[in-house]
Amino acid sequence: MALLERSEWYDIARATNWSPRYVTEGDLFPGDLADPYHLPTTAWEAYDEPYKVSYREYVKVQREKDAGVYSVKAALHRSNYYNLAGPEWMGILKLHYGAIPLTEYAACQLQGQNTRFGRAGSMRNMATFGMLDEMRHSQLQLFFPHELLARDRQFDWAHEAHHTKNWLIIGGRHCFDDVMMTRDAVTNSIMTSFIFETGFTNLQMVGLAADAESVGDFTFANLITSVQSDEARHAQLGIPLIDMMVKHGKTAEVQYAVDVGFWRLWRVFAVLTGIPMDYYIPLDKRHMSFKEFMHEWVIRQFERQLKDLGLERPWYWDIFLNDIEVHHHIQQGGVWSYRPTMWWHPVAGVGPAEREWLDRKYPGWNASFGHYWDTIIDSLLAGREDLTQQKVFPPICNICQIPIANRPGPPWKARAFQLDFEGRRYHFCTPVCRWIFESDPERYKQHESLVDMLVFGRFDPPTPETVLRYMGIGVVSEGGRDSNNYEWIEAYRGKHGHAAKGQVSPLSDCSLGFKGGRKLFILSRFEGDGHVKTVEVDTDFTMDELARYCAQFSVGHHVPDQPGRVLRVRRTTSHDDAPVFARTMRFDDCQPRQMDSFDIFFADN
Amino acid sequence: MMANQSDATRNNSVGPVLRSGEIADAVIQALEEDNPGKEFVIQDHLAYVRIETENECIVRRETLERALGRPFQMPELEVNLTSFSGRIETTDTTMRFYLEKRL
Repeated sequence: MALLERSEWYDIARATNWSPRYVTEGDLFPGDLADPYHLPTTAWEAYDEPYKVSYREYVKVQREKDAGVYSVKAALHRSNYYNLAGPEWMGILKLHYGAIPLTEYAACQLQGQNTRFGRAGSMRNMATFGMLDEMRHSQLQLFFPHELLARDRQFDWAHEAHHTKNWLIIGGRHCFDDVMMTRDAVTNSIMTSFIFETGFTNLQMVGLAADAESVGDFTFANLITSVQSDEARHAQLGIPLIDMMVKHGKTAEVQYAVDVGFWRLWRVFAVLTGIPMDYYIPLDKRHMSFKEFMHEWVIRQFERQLKDLGLERPWYWDIFLNDIEVHHHIQQGGVWSYRPTMWWHPVAGVGPAEREWLDRKYPGWNASFGHYWDTIIDSLLAGREDLTQQKVFPPICNICQIPIANRPGPPWKARAFQLDFEGRRYHFCTPVCRWIFESDPERYKQHESLVDMLVFGRFDPPTPETVLRYMGIGVVSEGGRDSNNYEWIEAYRGKHGHAAKGQVSPLSDCSLGFKGGRKLFILSRFEGDGHVKTVEVDTDFTMDELARYCAQFSVGHHVPDQPGRVLRVRRTTSHDDAPVFARTMRFDDCQPRQMDSFDIFFADN
Repeated sequence: MMANQSDATRNNSVGPVLRSGEIADAVIQALEEDNPGKEFVIQDHLAYVRIETENECIVRRETLERALGRPFQMPELEVNLTSFSGRIETTDTTMRFYLEKRL
């Protein structure tokens, strides 16, 4: 029997709007779920999806996709690949499977919302396919790691991660709750379908596939590119909406949604994708740097599309370009330094050849991040692994939920951007996250980061062990350790400026006890350290004692000592120009408040 | 290439990004046939092939069928179409990639 061509019946099939008789239009499509921008009904009637598919075609094509994915998996099932794959690649798989599958379920709920609350029948139609797509993605990406569970308990995080309060998972969840789960059908389509699925998912699902193919994991490469083929279709849901919004004078509203969504997704994806691409993939298998992938997919392809839709680059474009050079590098240091909090075994990835590559791809890497790792290497060579495990927490950004950090010095960039709002102090990684908060404080103000919880006394007892347990470490599986058991440091023993026995400064060990004053959390902004640190101090300390106390959490951890020089203290200001406190001054006399930020820096006297 | 990163959005490239294989090869052949006079830049990234040209290109079912040597329904292209640059327009017999504005 001959079938009609799709175009002959498609317009009738998708015209599923009707005039409600028992409820009002507003009851049927409440603004906060459907369209708070009040686009006219005529605009919605003109919604025309660019990537058309019928249900019959959808089922046929999806069946073919699944057949492809499962047959490659079955064909390679008996291969020895995962027995031979190095710990670096297994780390990437664990990171991916912990972060992604349940986010796909969240996306499924988002598509469910659009299936019900899209104002155009054709939009609801597209969203229905999108919903089925996302269900497929979560099930595939739960099924594949399940096979790996027998060899490694950490793969259990594929299913468990999003049910824990792990810091990185909170970061992802906070972002996706914001862009996917708590918006109306128009805004979530802009933030998720447009920005996320035409911009960032390409990095993890197609860019990373090139690396996967290069290391020989064809099962994974085939899986993630198949997933992205669904995204390429249902991501198109957002384009006609943006066209409509711009046409009806809502350009500023779309631009705001783009600016918020783009930054939020960037901050998460740089950690998820940037770290594996630039540090975990074995050097000889590395296809391109993360920056080059960003260039190809986000700057050349996605940002170009922004212009075509009549939108501008986000206002923070220069900050963003700088962040591409910095953010994932310092978070790589943080992930490795806080490795017991991760659900995989973090890879250092900084052997001499890797560093040469990093400095070539990111000019200036060795002069900043290189010093950071040199300090870690010196401590490891000296047998002081304890100095490479952090005892205090960094402050966490109240928007992106990622530790506040920046390029290690010199020059010295890390700082928290703070805001006092309704009696509470908030901390941000950048002016962009602070702007997002200030543009809609009602949305964000109640959430407490892990460090807020520590400072507000929510952990009992307030020890790292309590926090680790809270995060699910030791419950779902053991936490991370160095993936390579520190063998990589041998390339530095007695070479590349490192003494064979390493080097430890007396500043790394501190016997100073509390003196009986008030206990106060402060932000220690230690000279050269890429991480700001949250340190509980005694207000009866002198400034010298305060500096000495804070030094133990930075020197030998992430910054070297500067022998012969002394430590001084001043308040943190935007131009590093606050008066320096006298060394013998009692800390309390500067009237410090909870979570005030102080610079601790080296001076000649 | 990296030095003028902020200028990189100034391009008019459009075209499909396909999973490497038989379909990608056929699409390249069909694109060249269906868009006479256009130059295509083809980048092979192992897992994917990026095919780009300036401003607009179209691929037709009958050309693709000839290149493959078998019947082909346009929606089947989706199995291998992991991404694309520019905008897309689909009909029963064509898939078109384009940009509205030229930079």
